[in-house]
Amino acid sequence: MVDGVSLAIETTNLTRRFGALTAVVGLNLAVPAGSIFGFLGPNGAGKTTTIRMLCGLLLPSEGRATVAGFDVGTDAERIKQRVGYMPQRFSLYGDLTVEENLDFFAGVYRLGGRERRERVARTLGRVDLMARRRDLADHLSGGLKQRLALGCALVHAPQILFLDEPTAGADPPSRQRIWDILYETSAEGKTILVTTHYIEEAERCQTIGFMHRGRLIATGSPEACRAGMGEELLEVEATPQMGAAEAARTVPGVSGVTIYGHTLRIFAKRAAALAPALSETLAARGITVRGIRPVAPTLEDVFMTLTRDVPEAERTG
Amino acid sequence: MLQVIGHVAVKEIRQILRDRRSLALVLVMPIILTFLFGKAMETGELKQIPSVILNLDRSPESNVIATAFSTFDEVWIQGEVPSREEAQEMLAQGKIKAAIIIPRGFMKRIEAGEEAQIELLLDGTDNNSAPIVEGVAQQVIRRYNAEKAVRGLWARGLRPDRGQKLIQPVFVQTEIRYNPGLRYLGYVMPGVIGLTLTLLTVMLMAVSLTRERERGTLDQLMVTPIRRSELILGKLLPYFGLSLLNVLTILFVADRWFNVPVSERLTLLLVFCALFVLTSLATGLLISAVSRSQFQAIQIAVFYILPVFMLSGAYAPIEAIPETIRPISNLFPLMYFCRAVRAVTLRGAGFDLVWKDLVILTGFFLLFLYWAVVSFRKRLA
Repeated sequence: MVDGVSLAIETTNLTRRFGALTAVVGLNLAVPAGSIFGFLGPNGAGKTTTIRMLCGLLLPSEGRATVAGFDVGTDAERIKQRVGYMPQRFSLYGDLTVEENLDFFAGVYRLGGRERRERVARTLGRVDLMARRRDLADHLSGGLKQRLALGCALVHAPQILFLDEPTAGADPPSRQRIWDILYETSAEGKTILVTTHYIEEAERCQTIGFMHRGRLIATGSPEACRAGMGEELLEVEATPQMGAAEAARTVPGVSGVTIYGHTLRIFAKRAAALAPALSETLAARGITVRGIRPVAPTLEDVFMTLTRDVPEAERTG
Repeated sequence: MLQVIGHVAVKEIRQILRDRRSLALVLVMPIILTFLFGKAMETGELKQIPSVILNLDRSPESNVIATAFSTFDEVWIQGEVPSREEAQEMLAQGKIKAAIIIPRGFMKRIEAGEEAQIELLLDGTDNNSAPIVEGVAQQVIRRYNAEKAVRGLWARGLRPDRGQKLIQPVFVQTEIRYNPGLRYLGYVMPGVIGLTLTLLTVMLMAVSLTRERERGTLDQLMVTPIRRSELILGKLLPYFGLSLLNVLTILFVADRWFNVPVSERLTLLLVFCALFVLTSLATGLLISAVSRSQFQAIQIAVFYILPVFMLSGAYAPIEAIPETIRPISNLFPLMYFCRAVRAVTLRGAGFDLVWKDLVILTGFFLLFLYWAVVSFRKRLA
């Protein structure tokens, strides 16, 4: 319990090493029951390893974690009864039909008879695959496969749902469908932990955590993360763009430059004060500046600042 | 527990039935293998060893000897050759395995009361044929000598039957109990059945868990509360049913095609086959549980099956294996299966004679099954 809210997931100094590589470093996480927690970070940041530890698939090397009140090290099987997991890779039986897959997983969770049939039917409705229920899973398109996988993780009505990149590679409508299902599930009071590297999806979460090189480097609501960035932002339109980016980096006070579409995004502690010096430098290099204006940071900008100066994942040996 | 096992079994059956090509292979392969192995073993009884005769004496006595050789089934006299060089050439080319040479002066020496000889040229590369031809030659000569002696005694006034007794006072009276035709096939058929069943079941099961591991479906299964025993027994059951079907077809082929009597003591035979199938399935599951990939599982399976083929007495008596490595044979369930099934099919042995092998096979099954369950990890490495 933290501030009277019960925690679905809590980790203390959770660490996992694979030989010389430390995939997850001293993770401290508290996910309140009933919330949607978004796990952000590039590939290899340690998100999947963390989820696998929380599902009881991997033992932590150090530290501890409780899920639904049970310790992942000693009570993994009880956790498994209460969580649903959708792995990153499609992990269902391609040679079984949609309905047979759902029925199999429902049965493995010890649901029997009428209850099982009802759950399977309800899940088919929820993930909108009723019309395709007799098709082999292998014959589904990528987006439908993801919905089926989500259905299989949901069929036993778990308290906590772990989703590892549930929308990877999906087109925008398919992604929207999956998020609709997640909102519905969340509205029933379930806790959802979802990883993504689509920054815009993070905006849909109540709480987000940035992972980078095995460490949780920031956590909070999307608004809090943006507000707490500690840097301001200038959007610059200039040609030639590459030359402008190069020149901008030489201006004292600029801590970072990223190219975004046909604009540059300039990071600085105090952006407004920097604007005159910036346009002067660019003009001196013969660069045409068509506009300089302060803008509000996006989560992507936050992520860029956060990952700029984080130490390498700890490597030993 | 039972409900989940049944549930896994239903899923496996659905997958088996959906993969028509593999199913056809699994159902047809044992028939073909039994037929092939059986056919190969049928001619494993050495007969008709190609041979030639070089009759340099060309006398009535040497002709008697030459003709005597052709009355034996073991050798196939392809004809006479004119010279020793030709006989050696044919032997070198592998066209014949033996040349029987009757030297010049054979008859003269006999008539002069001197010691006469015939020569054998044998191809020693084939260590099975050479002693057989030698044995035939010994018999030919023994008969010839006996006849000569009887005739000699007769000429001196002794009746042939008395003379015969004088020359050969002792006889061996042989009575062959069981497998009266001394058919090698009758001996080897239990081995053929056991090998076919081993090959089929071990391979099928060895890839069962690893296939799920490779496809990623095991990841999804490992986060469910399924027990290891439920998963493993659920996988075992459908393949047990499939293998029993194979047992029936194999026994049918053995009975109809190779005249191996399976109808007597059929129940006991089926019990042994079923138990052996269970043991092999459990072996395959154990291999699957400890392997990381299908490739690795197949590798381990091959490394297991080859020694089983060589050392479990499927083709040749266990006594033919040197004593230093014979204890290894005791580790293979196939050894007990072959021993017991031979007893049942050839000697008509009942439960009272083979119950020990039944107990041993049950022990192997339970041990391998337990081992498979505890070796299988519900966590990632």
